[in-house]
Amino acid sequence: MFAQSRVIKGVVKDSETGEGIPGVGILVVGSTTATTSDINGGYSITVEGEGKKLIFSYVGYANQTVDADKEVIDVTLMPSSTVLNETVVTALGVSREKKSLGYATQQIGGDQVTAVKSGNFVNQISGKVAGARVRNNSNMGGSTNIIIRGATSIVSNNQALFVVDGVPMNNDATNGANQKSSRGGFDYGSPISDINPEDIESINVLKGAAATALYGSRAARGVIIVTTKKGRLAAADTRRRFGVTLNSNLTLGTIDKSTFPTYQQEYGGGYGKFYGPNGDEWFDKGDVTGDGTADDLIVPTYEDASYGGKFDPSLMVYQWDAFVPKSKNYHKKTPWVGAGENGPATFFNKAMSTTNGFSIDGGTNKGAFRVSYSNGNESGIMPNSSLKKNSFGFNGGLELNDKLSTSVSANYVNTRAIGRNETGYNDNLMSSHRQWIQTNANYADLKEIYELTDANYGWNPQSWTDPVVPIFWNNPYFQRYKNFQNDQRNRFFGNLTMNYKVNDIISLMARIGVDTYSTLQEERLAVGSLAQGFGIPSIAGNLGPASPSGYSRLNKNFGETNFDLMANFKKDLNENFNISGLIGSNIRRSSDASVWSSTNGGLVVPELYSISNSVNAPLPSVENAALYGVNGYFAAVSFGYQRFLFLDVTARQDYSSTLPVDKNAFFYPGVSGSFVFSEKLKNLTWLDFGKVRLNYANVGNDAPFASIADVYDKPSAFGSTPLFSLPNAKNNEDLKPEISSTTEAGLEMVFFKKRLGFDFAVYNTNTTNQIFNVTVSTATGYSSKFVNAGKIQNKGMELSVFGTPLKTKDFSWTVTLNYASNRNKVIELFKDESGVEVKNLQIASFQQGVTLNATVGEALGSLKGTDYVYKDGKKVVGANGYYVKTTTTDNTLGNINPDFTAGITNTLTYKNWSYSFLIDMQQGGSVWSVDMAYGLATGIYPESVGNNDLGNPVRNDVSAGGGVIFEGVLADGTPNTKRVAADYGAWGYVRNPNAKFVYDASYVKLREMSLSYHIPVKKEHFFTGASVGLVGSNLWIIHKNLPYADPEAGASAGNTQGAQIGVMPLIRTYGFNLTLQF
Amino acid sequence: MKKLLTSLLVLIIATIMSCKKLTDLNEDTKSATKVPSGTLFSNAMKNLVDQETSPNVNLNVFRAFAQYWTETTYTDESKYDVFTRKIPDAEFRILYRDVLNDLKEAKRIVATETDIESSAAVKKNKTALTEILTVYTFHRAVDLYGNVPYEDALDIKKLSPKYDDAQTVYSKLFTRLDAAIADLNTAEDSFGDADIIYGGDVAKWKKFANSLKLKMAISVADVSALDPQGKVASAVSGGVLASAADNAVFQYLGTSPNTNPVYVDLVASGRHDWVPTNTLVDKMNTLVDPRRDDYFDDNLGAGVYKGGTYGASNSYAIYTHVSAAVEDPTNPALLMDYAEVQFYLAEAAARGFSVPGTAESYYNAGITASILYWGGSAAEATAYLLNPAVAYTTAAGTYKEKIANQAWIAYFNRGLLGWTTWRRLDAPVFNPPSGMTIADIPKRFTYPIGEQTLNNANYTSAASAIGGDKLTTKLFWDKF
Repeated sequence: MFAQSRVIKGVVKDSETGEGIPGVGILVVGSTTATTSDINGGYSITVEGEGKKLIFSYVGYANQTVDADKEVIDVTLMPSSTVLNETVVTALGVSREKKSLGYATQQIGGDQVTAVKSGNFVNQISGKVAGARVRNNSNMGGSTNIIIRGATSIVSNNQALFVVDGVPMNNDATNGANQKSSRGGFDYGSPISDINPEDIESINVLKGAAATALYGSRAARGVIIVTTKKGRLAAADTRRRFGVTLNSNLTLGTIDKSTFPTYQQEYGGGYGKFYGPNGDEWFDKGDVTGDGTADDLIVPTYEDASYGGKFDPSLMVYQWDAFVPKSKNYHKKTPWVGAGENGPATFFNKAMSTTNGFSIDGGTNKGAFRVSYSNGNESGIMPNSSLKKNSFGFNGGLELNDKLSTSVSANYVNTRAIGRNETGYNDNLMSSHRQWIQTNANYADLKEIYELTDANYGWNPQSWTDPVVPIFWNNPYFQRYKNFQNDQRNRFFGNLTMNYKVNDIISLMARIGVDTYSTLQEERLAVGSLAQGFGIPSIAGNLGPASPSGYSRLNKNFGETNFDLMANFKKDLNENFNISGLIGSNIRRSSDASVWSSTNGGLVVPELYSISNSVNAPLPSVENAALYGVNGYFAAVSFGYQRFLFLDVTARQDYSSTLPVDKNAFFYPGVSGSFVFSEKLKNLTWLDFGKVRLNYANVGNDAPFASIADVYDKPSAFGSTPLFSLPNAKNNEDLKPEISSTTEAGLEMVFFKKRLGFDFAVYNTNTTNQIFNVTVSTATGYSSKFVNAGKIQNKGMELSVFGTPLKTKDFSWTVTLNYASNRNKVIELFKDESGVEVKNLQIASFQQGVTLNATVGEALGSLKGTDYVYKDGKKVVGANGYYVKTTTTDNTLGNINPDFTAGITNTLTYKNWSYSFLIDMQQGGSVWSVDMAYGLATGIYPESVGNNDLGNPVRNDVSAGGGVIFEGVLADGTPNTKRVAADYGAWGYVRNPNAKFVYDASYVKLREMSLSYHIPVKKEHFFTGASVGLVGSNLWIIHKNLPYADPEAGASAGNTQGAQIGVMPLIRTYGFNLTLQF
Repeated sequence: MKKLLTSLLVLIIATIMSCKKLTDLNEDTKSATKVPSGTLFSNAMKNLVDQETSPNVNLNVFRAFAQYWTETTYTDESKYDVFTRKIPDAEFRILYRDVLNDLKEAKRIVATETDIESSAAVKKNKTALTEILTVYTFHRAVDLYGNVPYEDALDIKKLSPKYDDAQTVYSKLFTRLDAAIADLNTAEDSFGDADIIYGGDVAKWKKFANSLKLKMAISVADVSALDPQGKVASAVSGGVLASAADNAVFQYLGTSPNTNPVYVDLVASGRHDWVPTNTLVDKMNTLVDPRRDDYFDDNLGAGVYKGGTYGASNSYAIYTHVSAAVEDPTNPALLMDYAEVQFYLAEAAARGFSVPGTAESYYNAGITASILYWGGSAAEATAYLLNPAVAYTTAAGTYKEKIANQAWIAYFNRGLLGWTTWRRLDAPVFNPPSGMTIADIPKRFTYPIGEQTLNNANYTSAASAIGGDKLTTKLFWDKF
């Protein structure tokens, strides 16, 4: 027969809206002929020969294949979010039909992380994936903690592994140990934020071990697979050869005042009536006027609490600015009043961020490409803070011939930040705002004086005779504008892939993936600042020596290379059976090197930030150089029977460099099965789809670099005497790989013509032989030791429900609910080499003796400290009238794990309008607030003022009818009637056990809201697609129990969670999006 | 096509081959795996002296416990809150991890060193020096906490070390110290410059070791089972510090991070946390003590000294501050001094132990040595000793009170020693903070908070063995 050439026409429509879809790729199967649909979804394509098929594909829709046997073929495509034949990307980049999978995955589209932007797309996963717990803080460019199905490891990394287009991408925060434990320092953010959200096609979350086992050692904690947008193949003769997308976003942010202190406005600076010449007055006295008598009232500026004199506008006193020669109040008395509207809340600026980007995609019938560029510009709420990001992306694919194709992806990202906010206790303005301040500190004046003098005159000088020498706190503006840090990161990541199709059954893939970055972090302490521990410590683990000024720089280079070789096969054995599988190897090498240098003893020349400007000879630089790697070999095979029974078996063997040579191999088997029972229940018309699934798998983990051999620490020399020391952590030459095994069962069902569906999973993960650097009694000569041990159980359930309660031609309402609860429990810890069982491990230790622990029989992450003493359920008050604290500090006060988390997204669409909002919540979980423990002690909060039960000011002397009777009983059970002074510490840490400051961390938040309008596209328009949107995030904390702070706020990503020390307020953002396509 | 495929394959194989073998990785190429023993000895010594000297509220609050200093604003520690800052944890950690473990390692390395200078005698000296400093450090721990981990301590294989009876530990420390003294060969070298205190002078170490033995024996003077009399006699016959030239002086340096910790916390930190107490200043004013201008600043005017009320909130501006000499970055620290030894001998004589001199002669020598050490003159010392309230024969009180009052004044910059003097001799009269009584003043240091969660079973039994893990529990030697 002669090949016949004919033209087939038709329209491609959306199955839900019935509207034409422009830009759909249409390919004649087995040829190179292709086209795309026009603006109305219409197409025409020339087909040569008989028996051909056409394949229709478009992003966000399921592919559809039809026989090219008519002249007019109209096709409706189903959006992939609701289709049952959805394909998802699974481990090692293998695309699988979702219905065949025996484990839980949850996919979200790229649009779900770009509608509302935050600088790190991971933040936008919050509430959208059942079982993924995302915790971000309001640090500018700060890190994000993402844990899937609860923490499984006591001290190792619990963060999910990110894999971008098949290649793992590093996400290890570069924050120092002090930052993570809230002592101080900057949050340098999560490196995964280098991914441009606009480049994300989809995100698939692999939750359990069975889903991730093929990734080997790092996948024990779940994998987040990011697939980036690609160019599409197109026919050379179509009108639309290139597509251009422009997007622009402007976001403004303000603080949520419910997450910032409210200050009492009744009493000002001081700790009590301790001042004046005899130490018994509210104010100091001196001779400011020069009249020879020391009778001028002076505020005790050197105090950072608000238990001072009662405000009285008619009382004229000399405040800190009365001693600043350039001040308008120089040597003038001013009324003794609170800061009122000019309190610390006025310190914050409106945050603003703009993101502008474009992408161009295009292609021929042989190849396709996409390039993108994005520019982000952010200014934070703290004065003098900004973050700039430029990212360039390219990916392209080329079909070299029928069998060989290649693709390449290359991304370069440059991030620069100035003035990240401090975190933790030390020298953090937020610690001052929440814990230590005078309520009369007027920020408008502080700003004015700083701008006037360029010097460190502030509310907290050492004395009125030294007004420019701070004692505890700098002028906040001086701190922000002089002591700012800056950092930058240059990152390259990409991969080169070759695919070779041997025949219809076998194909081969080879890939090199590279992820590398260099960063520079510079910190400054200006001359004139409050002296503080700065720079390199002389002994590892300590703060740097107290310095009046200084400069510190850290240079770090990270690189990881992955080589993958893989053979895939796929064969239908007969009508009933098909089999597919793969076999391959992964070789991974990582290097991490850094050099940290700092000045010693201060700077010689002010404002010259270089190491050579050091007063004393700089201490030797701290160098690190780590090289590590894994060789992995894996295989997987999948069987399908009649499209309703599926079985997968996977196996991987890893050899890790970080384990002892004779114990460096570990094996991960996995098996999963699924039964699509709806295939057998076709008579049930209300049931669209039903599947049960079951799986079991092991995943392993190796040890941190260089934890099997001991080395010495090198403290700074004592003059010319060199020093060495045994390290604080004892390494262990006998480490074995840690293993976690998971059993999981799931049920997926879809009903009523896809109007309702759910996906339910239950799982049980046991992690054994964990490698941890356990805190040990220092009587051993060490602080910690690497051991292999423990058994942690995580049991939980996840439920995703989606429904479309209302649907008409123009209007629809869809609801998605994600719910997850995880219960973890420490089953056992370990026995030491002398056979003694260890029953409690300390994960972290905070101020005031509070610790975060793993205790046998309790959930991982219990907060322990001093508690109230109870008698018959009532708090016991001592003879002194204050609560009795336990003398023991191992009382369990709470647990940081929530009972459950949930998120509900409602989306309403009407014609081209779409409105969506996400409510996100956490029930339970505890947080230890150092902010409240100190802040209530220093009398800055309204809780510490007002009237007592007698109607007198509670702060009055007891003899004057003031004071408080704490509710409780005496040791003998009789009610407490002793009235005591409500002075410094009465409400705070001084007089109360740690238990008082452990709060319930539950919250309900209106996390995101967006309103968008898709501008109808007409043929005569220049553009092919356009939308505008109004978006907002963190708009409203509907409910919380923690006063003055966001329960989610914390220092940074990592296992040290559950403590609030100088945290930032939540930032409420709202903005505008514009997307145009040409 | 084939070419392309082949070249790709070659490229991939070549890159994989160029990877380092797994077993060649995992090496920390920036840290030492082998170091000389002296570097660990020096480090242990520095950590010990730093801890002894530090006035940091997170590390060492014994200047407050001894009522030399009191806090201005944040009075938690002066009121004996040691929980909030986990101070007992810091002390314990420094003694065991930063001092004792490095000494143990130094001793281990000495035995393996084979360089030419390490003759058997030198190695024996080095080993003995690590032992002497080890005994000093354990003694500090026992005198602070009571029962402490000893037999099980410093063994990373035993993560839950049991606590040993304090008296038993004492007895073992005496044995260890005697053995070390016997091993010292004064004709040979030891650690040389790595010995930051004595520059390797073994003869001085011998005096130090005997003085330590004297100190320990006086500590347990009321515990006859430990034969304090015999221990004092053998220490004296072995030769204790004979003059200020034998003092164990640790000379701090002018630049960070090796400055005196007092300078770090009082000057470099820019804080105003401490003032001298009324307990001390009042007493020295009464005695017209010539050391006042050495101890204190004249910030209130020449010759005017006023101490802050112990345990109360004190306005920094209206009280006396410590002197510039004490705050100097290069101010040396003392681990043991001649004045201290003289006071021990005075006490031994007063107790009727067999020592060559009289209580009065030692008492006078101790006071004189202290005044001279602090920069006073011999004339000042003589005049002071003539003060009837100072002179041994006329001063008020029992021998304990006389010696304690003067020793306590002399130990001004050595908080733990001053507090221990008060614990042992129940003098001078301390001022309890407002709302507290004398009974609330600490008699020991509480165990680390961390031991409650990390070593609970042993912690609990030790606490009950000593009579409760309280600051007010008396130690076994504190019988009066």
